[in-house]
Amino acid sequence: MSSESSRRWVTVLGAGVSALFLWVAVRHIDLASVKETWRTARPLPWIPLAMAAYVVGHFVRGARLRFLVRREAGLQVTTATNVVVVGYASNNVLPARLGELVRAGMLAERTGIPLTQALTVTFIERLVDGVAILFLLVGASWATHTAGWIAELARVGALVFGVALAGLGLAVFFPAALGALASRLSQPLGRRAHDTAVGLVTSIVNGAAVLRRPLDALVIGVLSVVVWLCESAMFVAVLPALGLAPSPGMAVIAMSVTNLGILVPSTPGFVGPFHFFCSQALLAQGVGAEIALAYAVLVHIAFYAPATLWGAGAMLWYGVEVGATAALARAARRSHRVETIGGVPMQIIAQLAEPPKEAEASDFDRALTEAILPPGGSAAVVGDSARFLAGQIAALPTRVRTLYAIGMSVFRFWVRVRYLRSFCGLDLDRRRAAVAGWAFGTIAPLRQLFRAPRSTVLLAFYEHPAGLATLGAEERRHLPVATTAPEEAHG
Amino acid sequence: MAEAVRHRTEVLVVGSGAGGAVTALELASAGRDVAVLEEGGEHADDDYGKSSPEAMRLLYRRRGMTPILGQVPLGYVEGACVGGSTEINSGFWHRTPREVLLRWHAQFGLADAGVDDMAPHFDWAEERLGISKYDREWPKSTRMFAQGIEAMGWAYQEVPRAAPGCLSTNACASGCPTGKKRGVSRALWPTAREKGARLVPRCRVHQLLFERHRCIGVLAEVEVEGGRRVLARIDADHVFVCAGPTETPALLRRSGVKFHVGETLRVHPMLKVAARFPETIDAHQSVLPLLQVKEFWPDVSLGGAFFTPGHLALGLSDNWPETSDRMQRFRNMASYYVAVRGEGRGWVRPSKLGDGATLIHYDVGPGDLKNLSQGLARLCTLLLAAGAEEVLPAVRGMASITSEDEAIRWLDEALPKANLSLTTVHAFSSCPIGERSEKCAADSFGKLRRYENLYVNDASVLPDSPGVNPQGSVMAFARRNVQHFIDRLS
Repeated sequence: MSSESSRRWVTVLGAGVSALFLWVAVRHIDLASVKETWRTARPLPWIPLAMAAYVVGHFVRGARLRFLVRREAGLQVTTATNVVVVGYASNNVLPARLGELVRAGMLAERTGIPLTQALTVTFIERLVDGVAILFLLVGASWATHTAGWIAELARVGALVFGVALAGLGLAVFFPAALGALASRLSQPLGRRAHDTAVGLVTSIVNGAAVLRRPLDALVIGVLSVVVWLCESAMFVAVLPALGLAPSPGMAVIAMSVTNLGILVPSTPGFVGPFHFFCSQALLAQGVGAEIALAYAVLVHIAFYAPATLWGAGAMLWYGVEVGATAALARAARRSHRVETIGGVPMQIIAQLAEPPKEAEASDFDRALTEAILPPGGSAAVVGDSARFLAGQIAALPTRVRTLYAIGMSVFRFWVRVRYLRSFCGLDLDRRRAAVAGWAFGTIAPLRQLFRAPRSTVLLAFYEHPAGLATLGAEERRHLPVATTAPEEAHG
Repeated sequence: MAEAVRHRTEVLVVGSGAGGAVTALELASAGRDVAVLEEGGEHADDDYGKSSPEAMRLLYRRRGMTPILGQVPLGYVEGACVGGSTEINSGFWHRTPREVLLRWHAQFGLADAGVDDMAPHFDWAEERLGISKYDREWPKSTRMFAQGIEAMGWAYQEVPRAAPGCLSTNACASGCPTGKKRGVSRALWPTAREKGARLVPRCRVHQLLFERHRCIGVLAEVEVEGGRRVLARIDADHVFVCAGPTETPALLRRSGVKFHVGETLRVHPMLKVAARFPETIDAHQSVLPLLQVKEFWPDVSLGGAFFTPGHLALGLSDNWPETSDRMQRFRNMASYYVAVRGEGRGWVRPSKLGDGATLIHYDVGPGDLKNLSQGLARLCTLLLAAGAEEVLPAVRGMASITSEDEAIRWLDEALPKANLSLTTVHAFSSCPIGERSEKCAADSFGKLRRYENLYVNDASVLPDSPGVNPQGSVMAFARRNVQHFIDRLS
């Protein structure tokens, strides 16, 4: 099936799904009562408040996006927010969640990061969004003692949440094992299934790599929960407009159920599934059917209008061409094609994230390096040796590197207790004494901890022109480059 | 996997070092369709001969940070570039000793690998690499070593090297920029390419793919234009894994191939010393000492080590407060080593954490410790007899040995295990070959048991420690094995 006809099928299917959900949502509803509910509704100040909460949520999304790409690009929060909103606006007017591709395309264009990486960032945002929504659903249903199908959904949600968290943990900490497992399990299912499974797992692993640093994971997790609390605030704010008590628990459940429901493919803007799941969530919490539907329509307006208008404005401002950007992103994502690389035919299964950049030396690396090196080293040789140390430590196998990091944390804690100052804040003599106490002391594990930095830094120093100069030695003399053809030498 | 396959390579070789290059060259010479996937980069001459930190970044696996863990951790390095470790070793060359081949036959049932069977393969490799002895006056570090050996009256040999016309620039460990030290990137790859072998550098194989007992290809991470990386499937009729003694078992185990794989790693543990002489040696400006003491072979070898001020500091770092002042006398110093055959056992496993690293473990055996202790005693005695004022071993708490009495005590006492700083550059035997299925991963020619078309062909196939620098054994066995494969294919 060509991609064009496949997209046509997606559009038709989406329209059918939308129509079906709309019909199910309104079939037993007295539409006159719904109209009456709207007539008596008090939109002010609640609907603008709801929209404001939604807009704040987008700014938090922007902050999260900025955080995710901070190592690769200096993106302002406003620009990052505009990138997010353009994606949402595109999803509101285009089928098949094409907005995700537009968002990735615009992110790449604004920051200069590769499209594949932009797609990975978008993917990880959606992944942590899903986990955050499930987390809020489970929390709210336990807090409100909800019964009926919502309680069932929460139980299933808790299970899915647990599995998702475990899966994410696997992807973060055991990426190689997860990839190998996916490959081995899917091999008996045939070539296409294998490549698809491996491609999917690779995308997850690529995305999850940003969560490998515990602090980064914490920041992204907290920001994601805040995003969806803002969206919940939008759902809360609409409740009083229809004379309902502003119950945060009810709103969080409605928000979670609705957002999980609109994962079902439908028309642009999620017309149908949005209304169905939102009204069902309220019905399950004892709200009347007509009011529930009226509520769903109002929330959908608060959800749809600001993002679409803002997104359209941002597209005009930045000159984004939706079709071209999406096509570019789609091309970057395209896989399962045969390419010849180095004369060898290969079936491309997935794009991979950029390799990590060369490790930078931290202040601690520099302070440690200075404490190990012989006196008299210039700032340049200390800096270069510290950079070499950072690179060498980063190259250690994860298990060893983790042990090193734990050991150095203990050392820094000990220094703080012993000298009542941080290691970096100590004068050079005390730093030397602290290092010598561990590196040449009587406790073997402490000596082992300092073996790698000690030998690495000394090697770097005495291979450096400035280090050699302290010995009165010259830099390695110029070496003649090969002048004979390789094959000539042996005849 | 029922779908039709349109794009296949006949023979895929994983790794381009001593084993992989020979495999590819022989296959291409036989007119076979062969492609080689190499994890490291391909480097021009001007990338070679840089400072050690830069060379480690460019040419070494994990920038030289691949520790072998165990009761006594060993520093281990191997190459990760086109040509593998042959690009960064000293080029020392030995044929597998007759005694070793006989033992491999007896203990592993290794068939058709007698001295006469192996001779043509050694002849071929020696011609290709231009194996020869140093053709200039020995450098001072070698002459001092010779003086000590003569004084002790021990048997020794000048070891031939793959470095015809060596210019003595002391750049072996950083990649020889003169082109005289002949790693396989220079000695074999140009011909292999001429004959049609294709080489894909910066291509890391994650996993082998199987259909029942057939390997149908690999899953690899490939760098494409613009530095982008993709995950690709590469289909093949036959696969040779030649990724080296640690990466070959790691890849096989990651792919579910575990039968006697990665469970019998052997190494040559090595203890280095620095010797300070009254006169100027300038070891940093000449090729490393070229002699090996064979008097105590196969259990113990004594020889010369790579020397730069940086490496000297590294060797002295265990006793740095006491020894750092020796750096000012570096021109009077040279490095030497005690290497032992390695009676301990080790294993190799793919790490399940994070970065796809390989975990290597080796326990130094009691015999190793005894041999290292006695070897140190003999090496120190030799160097003192050669005129050294002191010998500084890489042993914590033993900053300096200045008399034969101090040295000789280690003939009868064991060195303190926890204080040793051991290294090794020789690892092998992680996928031993032979007909004894209860201990061998592959048959006598490297075909993995239980698989129809999967082969290993690098240092991992050597059944046990060869007791000498292994490059010669690796290349000769690789040629023998791949010729057997070609014969069967024909």
